[in-house]
Amino acid sequence: MPDLRLRNQYQELLREFKPHSGHLLACLHKVQHEFGYVPADAVLAIARQLKLTPAAVFGALTFYTEFRTAPPPAVLIQWCSGPACRLKGGEHIRRALEATLEIGMEESTPDNRVGLHLQQCDGSCAYAPLVWLRRAGAHPDGPDAPLMADRGAIRGPLTVPQAIELARRLKAGDLDV
Amino acid sequence: MTAYEELRQQAERVWRAFLHPERPRIDVAVATCSHAAGVHATLAALREQIAARALAVDLGITGCNGFCFLEPLVTVTRPDGSRILYGPVRPDDVPDLLDQALTGVCARLVVGRLAGDDRTVPPLDEHPFMAHQVRRLMANCGVIDPENIDHSIANGGYEGLSKALQLTDEEVIKQTIASGLWGRGGAAFPAGRKWDFLRGARNRPKYMVCNADEGDPGAFVNRVLLESDPHLVIEGMIIAAHATGAEYGYIYIRDEYPLAVERCRKALEQARERGLLGRNILGSGLTYDMEVVRGAGAYVCGEETGLLSSIEDSRGMPRIKPPFPANAGVFGLPTNVNNVETYANAPLIFRHGVDWYRQYGTERNPGTKMFSVTGDIARVGCVEVPLGTKMSAILLDNFGGTPDGRPIKAIQPGGPLGGILPASCLDLALEPEPFREQGVLMGSGGLVVCDDTTCILDLVTYFEWFAEDESCGRCTTCHGGTQRHVEILRRIADGNGRPSDIELMGLLNDALRWSNCFHGQGAPTAVQSLLRHFRDELIAHIRDKYCPAGVCKGLIRYEVAAGHERAVAPAAAICPTAAFREEEGGRYVIDDARCIRCDACRQLQPEAIQVVPARQPRRAPEPVAVG
Repeated sequence: MPDLRLRNQYQELLREFKPHSGHLLACLHKVQHEFGYVPADAVLAIARQLKLTPAAVFGALTFYTEFRTAPPPAVLIQWCSGPACRLKGGEHIRRALEATLEIGMEESTPDNRVGLHLQQCDGSCAYAPLVWLRRAGAHPDGPDAPLMADRGAIRGPLTVPQAIELARRLKAGDLDV
Repeated sequence: MTAYEELRQQAERVWRAFLHPERPRIDVAVATCSHAAGVHATLAALREQIAARALAVDLGITGCNGFCFLEPLVTVTRPDGSRILYGPVRPDDVPDLLDQALTGVCARLVVGRLAGDDRTVPPLDEHPFMAHQVRRLMANCGVIDPENIDHSIANGGYEGLSKALQLTDEEVIKQTIASGLWGRGGAAFPAGRKWDFLRGARNRPKYMVCNADEGDPGAFVNRVLLESDPHLVIEGMIIAAHATGAEYGYIYIRDEYPLAVERCRKALEQARERGLLGRNILGSGLTYDMEVVRGAGAYVCGEETGLLSSIEDSRGMPRIKPPFPANAGVFGLPTNVNNVETYANAPLIFRHGVDWYRQYGTERNPGTKMFSVTGDIARVGCVEVPLGTKMSAILLDNFGGTPDGRPIKAIQPGGPLGGILPASCLDLALEPEPFREQGVLMGSGGLVVCDDTTCILDLVTYFEWFAEDESCGRCTTCHGGTQRHVEILRRIADGNGRPSDIELMGLLNDALRWSNCFHGQGAPTAVQSLLRHFRDELIAHIRDKYCPAGVCKGLIRYEVAAGHERAVAPAAAICPTAAFREEEGGRYVIDDARCIRCDACRQLQPEAIQVVPARQPRRAPEPVAVG
């Protein structure tokens, strides 16, 4: 049973959304923006708000790769899987990151400090091969498009030694790299 | 004065002040590509130094003009009406820019002249990147502030709408058909005819949907439009609504384009404030409104029925057609789905007329098309050229060929489902038919250029993996077929290819064609290209266990070059799997079983580490035709 305070918080957050209006993705985005992920209790709250079954909400939640069902790591390394990055050695970077962090794609280190996420190309290919670094809890506001900053900061073009160095420092707890 | 004329007059006042400011203005191109290039650091440096020097300067923003390779781009407008584009402007360049560009020219950073008569600066049109370009859709990109509707209106925005509103729905459709505009998303279906289907649909309400789920990796033409001139797309959708009787619309934008989401939302608000959305648009009696839906990372939502499912509070699963969206689309009601660029063409047709529209392009394919080019290319960016332009012309003249002059080996158009062309097809005309004849898709405008260091098998493995990963899972042919393809391709790359694999891949390709939607149907295209255009290379992998490009994991080995065995301590230290073994006398060898082929050691000490074929071929590998 979700505690009452949290339940009210979800209700407040989801108040603007209506059933049968195509609001499910917006609900999930809003919850994830607030909490960094979509908690299981939020699935129930969304289902109630949109008059959907929890299964339908959960089905959608897990269909889309950008929604998370667990708290994000302190720093998420979003590895670009696009073809331009691949032609310039992106696959090498992936192997090096996975080996250095000793985790696979879509996993986090046991202390949840660093995680790896497979990211789709957004056409920033002039900086290939690249990764984005996204810090948990960062909801930057200000004049320069908050959603954009939410996506994280680009590191590229990245050499494999640089990627290893980055991963080693993050893993050691030096999160300000 | 009509409602439109009033809007235009007010907008022109704003625009004139923008072009002839009382004090110099610096406009920074803020777009996804400039974000990648660190535009925020440039902006911060500008703010800080303008404040520190107490300069009488205003800061503003523009969108991206397609010169992504020169980001961060900055336009300086002087009171005398001179507008000069500079780039790349990094934080270190800000002092020079502020010293020189506000009163004169900062020659070191000049890209070109946008306006004014300063003869010391060449016009931007003379830049090699502008060769062959006819900028119609992109006319405002990088020129206006995309978050200011007046800039759009002063430059012709909503003029096409005001003219279309004076026509009947039938006339609008007739002119759209006469223009020859076809869907830019890849299927190339005539837009006017599609609209006519919706016009004839009985149920109500009807919906307009804009497919901005530009999922093809390496393609970003829609992003450039949505970030840099969102009103052009919105105007096109309103025109289509007028033609079809649609009352509501959705722009479905992929999650990877957060800036496009924000700019479109802002643009919709502003359009609503000006009476361009909502009830009685421009006094015509038309009622239409729309909203932005932000996707969440699913390639298959770019398939039109997958996209409709995604809007409807659901998993983005493609549906079985028929019924087509014109009869049963979003929420089961009549819907028209077009690509961003398709809608963006409509305002131009009604602003300038059909004859003007058909001036460029070919008889069969009139108009212009945007292309974004990435990969092994000197200038990564986005251009707009007449349909039918030779592909080699833009790749060599505009984009400057490969960065280090290596030969082009392949071109990958149309995204993961589009297939791969060999270099012998470089001269193809950029229109759908010649591409189709080669068994590939021209697609929505992304071209990925591969030089001769590319392993086509590796690239095809990537595309098949992508198709597998993004399969919605409904059809066994698709999710099972792509999975089998990946298994076979990976086995070949690991050095365990079998001669029968070639036949097996052909069989799988046939099976995949029976998938319900284009995702599964298009999935085998890359493998087909491999079989058709790069067969020698495939055979080298299977028969000779040899990867000509030295890429495939199981067919190569890393080793310390002779004479360097004692000098690779840095490479050994960087190795993430500790694969370097120090033997007596300080000589290093690489333990092949531990090596994951991450290339770190070679990148660190390229003279000391080399990539060699994993095994001696049973016979000398026959020369593999490159291209």
